[in-house]
Amino acid sequence: MKLTELNVGDRAEVNALGSEPKVRRRLMDLGLIRGTVLKVLRVAPLGDPVEIVYKGLYLTLRKSEAEGIGVNLIESDNAPEGKGKRMNALMRFGRAS
Amino acid sequence: MSGRDDITVALTGNPNAGKSSLFNAITGAHQRVGNFPGVTIEKHEGYTDFQGRRITLVDLPGTYSLTPYSPEEIVTRRYIIDEKPDVVVNVLEGSNLERNLLLTVQLMEMEVDLLVALNMIDEVEEKGISIDVKQLQKLLGSHIVPTSARQKRGIDALLGHILRIADGSIEIGKNKLAFSPEVEQAVEKIAALLSHERELDGKNHRWLAIKLLENDREVYQDVQKYPVWVKVELALQEAITECERMHRTDPELLITEDRHAFIRGAMQECVSLPNAEKASLTDHIDMVVLNRGLGLPVFFAVVWSIFQMTFTLGAPLTKGLQFLFGLAGRSLAPLLPDPLVRSIIVDGVLAGVGGVVVYLPNIVLLFIGLSFLEASGYMARAAFVIDKVMHRFGLHGKSFIPMVTGFGCSIPAIMATRTLKSRSDRLATIMAIPFMSCGAKLPLYVLLAGAFFPPATAANVMFGIYLLGIGVGLWTAWMLKSTILKSDSEPFVMELPPYRWPTIASVIFQARMKAVMYLKKAGTLILAAVMLIWAASNFPHSREIDARLTRDKARIQTSAALPEAKAAQLVTAATRAQADQLEYSIAGRGGKLLEPLIRPLGFDWRIGIALVTGLAAKEVVVSTLGTIYSIGHAGQGAADLSSILRSDPGFSQATALSLMVFVLLYIPCVASIGVMKKEVGAWKPVLAYTGYVLLVAWVASFLTYRLALLMR
Repeated sequence: MKLTELNVGDRAEVNALGSEPKVRRRLMDLGLIRGTVLKVLRVAPLGDPVEIVYKGLYLTLRKSEAEGIGVNLIESDNAPEGKGKRMNALMRFGRAS
Repeated sequence: MSGRDDITVALTGNPNAGKSSLFNAITGAHQRVGNFPGVTIEKHEGYTDFQGRRITLVDLPGTYSLTPYSPEEIVTRRYIIDEKPDVVVNVLEGSNLERNLLLTVQLMEMEVDLLVALNMIDEVEEKGISIDVKQLQKLLGSHIVPTSARQKRGIDALLGHILRIADGSIEIGKNKLAFSPEVEQAVEKIAALLSHERELDGKNHRWLAIKLLENDREVYQDVQKYPVWVKVELALQEAITECERMHRTDPELLITEDRHAFIRGAMQECVSLPNAEKASLTDHIDMVVLNRGLGLPVFFAVVWSIFQMTFTLGAPLTKGLQFLFGLAGRSLAPLLPDPLVRSIIVDGVLAGVGGVVVYLPNIVLLFIGLSFLEASGYMARAAFVIDKVMHRFGLHGKSFIPMVTGFGCSIPAIMATRTLKSRSDRLATIMAIPFMSCGAKLPLYVLLAGAFFPPATAANVMFGIYLLGIGVGLWTAWMLKSTILKSDSEPFVMELPPYRWPTIASVIFQARMKAVMYLKKAGTLILAAVMLIWAASNFPHSREIDARLTRDKARIQTSAALPEAKAAQLVTAATRAQADQLEYSIAGRGGKLLEPLIRPLGFDWRIGIALVTGLAAKEVVVSTLGTIYSIGHAGQGAADLSSILRSDPGFSQATALSLMVFVLLYIPCVASIGVMKKEVGAWKPVLAYTGYVLLVAWVASFLTYRLALLMR
C-alpha cells in the first residue's frame, strides 16, 4: 500500500521509493529508504502536508510527494490505550459532579 | 612540512547542526558576507588568529547531502573540489548523529582532509547519549573533536587539530566505504576507465564513478564531453541492469542504502542511546502548536506578533529618525545661504539619505523576529501549517511570512524571501510582494475613500483595495509558477527540527548583517534614485515664477489687510509658486506628457505629476497632490485637501477609485525596486516586472474607471 493510505497513528515499513527524482533523492538523503519503520504523526490543520517520524526525525511532506512511497502496514493505532483510559476517567469525573 | 601562515578551512554540515554558531564562536567579529559566484547564496567568510597563524573559515551552506538537486549542495561540493580548502570541517549535531553522518560519508568519498566537529556535545550529555569517539574515529578515518558552540567548548582543540592537519602532522585515514558487490564492481570498473582519460588526470576517479552511478547530472555533463564516455556509458548500463536483476532497484538507491547501512553499523558500534525514549519537549509543544484545531490560530498569532513588532514597534523609531533628519535639515539650512546649494543639500542629499535610513528600524526588527523564528524551529512549522493554501498558488508554505510582511513594507519583505530555498519560489514570491498594499499607500486610500465615500462605505472600499492587491499578487505568483518559473519547485520534504532557544548573539548578528547589507547594496541605488527624482521635481527652475512670488509678497506686505489675512495670503502665494515650479520642472512636464496615456483612466496631468513623484515613495503622492491642487484655492491651504478634491470638477468618485487601484498596483517605490534588483541579481527580470506592473495597473484602473462611470 501507499504511505498516503495510512491513517494517523499507523506504523509501517517502507518498501519502495518511486517518487519523482528530486523528491526521491531528498527522501533518501533524509534517511527514508527501504526498510525504514515510520509512524504517521499528524496531518496539517488544513489537511495537507503530513508529518511522519522515523529514527528520531520529524519529517513533513505533501501528500502528492508521499504518493510514491510504498509501505507495509505494521500496526494500526486507531484506538490507543492511553487515550481510552483517559476518556473513561473524564466520564467518571463528569458523573461524580 | 609546516609553517604556512594562511590556512583555509571549509565548514560543512546539516542545517540545524549549529554550524553557523560554531562559525560565529570561532571568528567573532572578523567576518564578511558575500555571494557565491553566480548564485544568490550567501558566502560567510571569517578568520581567527591562532598560535600566530591565520585561519580563514568559509561557512558553506547547510546541506544534508551533496546532490546536484539544490544550489546549496552544488555550491558546497564545487567549493570543496575547485577551491581545495586545506581542511574540511564537518560539523555534526551530536544528538542526531545518524542523520548527520550521511554527509560525513559523502565527504569521505571525496577524499578530502576531513575533520569532524562533534557539536552540541552539551546536549548529548544532557540527553544521556554516550558516544565512543575513539571507535567512531577509527571507522571514519578522521579525527573527531567534541565541541559546543554555545558553551564555547572545544574551540581551541578544534583549531589545534586544523593546524596539525594542515601541517601534515595528522594523517587523515581516507577510509573507503565498501558498497554492495555489484555497485563496488561497477565503481571500480568505471573509475579504471576514467583513469585512462588524460583530461581527467588529477581528478578523483572513484568519486566521479560513484556520482555517475548516482545519476548525477552535473558529473554527467563533465564526463560526457570526453571520448571515454562511450565505454563509461556502456558500463553504466550494465550496472543498472545488474542492480535491477539482483536488488530490484537502481544503483542510486542502492548506493544510498549502502551508505545508510554503514552508518547504521557505526551507530550500533559507537553510540548508545538512553533506553527510555520519553516524549520530548518538542513533542509536547507540537501537540499544541500543530494541533488540528489550534495550529492555525497559533500560526496567525505568531504572524501577527511579528508584523506588530516590525511595524508598530518600528513606527516610533522611524518617526525618530525622520525627526532627526528634519532637525539636521533645519539646522543646516541657515548655514547655507545659496538657495540652490541649500536645496541640493537639504532636500536632495539629506532627504535621500533619510529615505534610505528610515527603513532600517523595520528591517532590523523584522530580522530579529525572523531569525528568532528560524533558529527556534517554528519557521518550518509555520510553513507546514499554511502550505496547503500557498501550494494552491504554486508557492511554498515559507512564502507566507514574507508576503504578509509586504503589508507593512515591501523592502524587508523582499529581503525576507531568503528563507526560500528554490530560486523560482523566491522570484515568484518577490514579484507577488509589491501587490501586498504597503503602509505608505494607506494615507492615499484614507484621503480618497474619506473624501468620496460616506464613512460606512469608505472602510469597505479600502478593504476591497487590499483584497484586490492580494488577488493580483497571488495571481501573479501562480501565473509565473505555471509558466516561466515552472521548473525547479522546492519539494516540501522538510525536517521539523527540535525546538531550541536561539542564542541572542546569533539573532543580533543576523539582524546586523541584514542591516549592513541593505545599506551597502541597496542603499546606494536607492539614494541615487531618490536624488534623481528630487532633481526631476526641482529642475529646470523658473526665475519668472520666483520673480512673481517676490512681487506678490511685496504686494501683500504693503496691502491694508489684517495681519492674519496677510499671513494666509502669503502662504497661498508661496504654495502657488511651489505648484507652478513643480509644473515647470521635468516631473511636471513628464506628468503633462503622460496625460494622453492616463486620460482613459480618468487622470489629468496633475495626477500624472503625483504618480511620477510617487516613485520616490508612495507617501509623496498625497503631498504632491496637496501641492498641486492647492492652486487657485485661496485661503483653504493644503490641510483641507479632501474638500478641494471633492470640489474639483476633474475629480470624481470614479477618478478616486481608479487612482487608488493604480497606486495599489503600479511600480513600487524606487527603494523596493533597488532591493528587488539586489535580491534577484539582475536588471532584466526587474525591468520586465516593472513593465508588467504598469500594464496590470493600467488595465485594472481602466476597468475600474469605466465600471464606476457606468454604475453612477
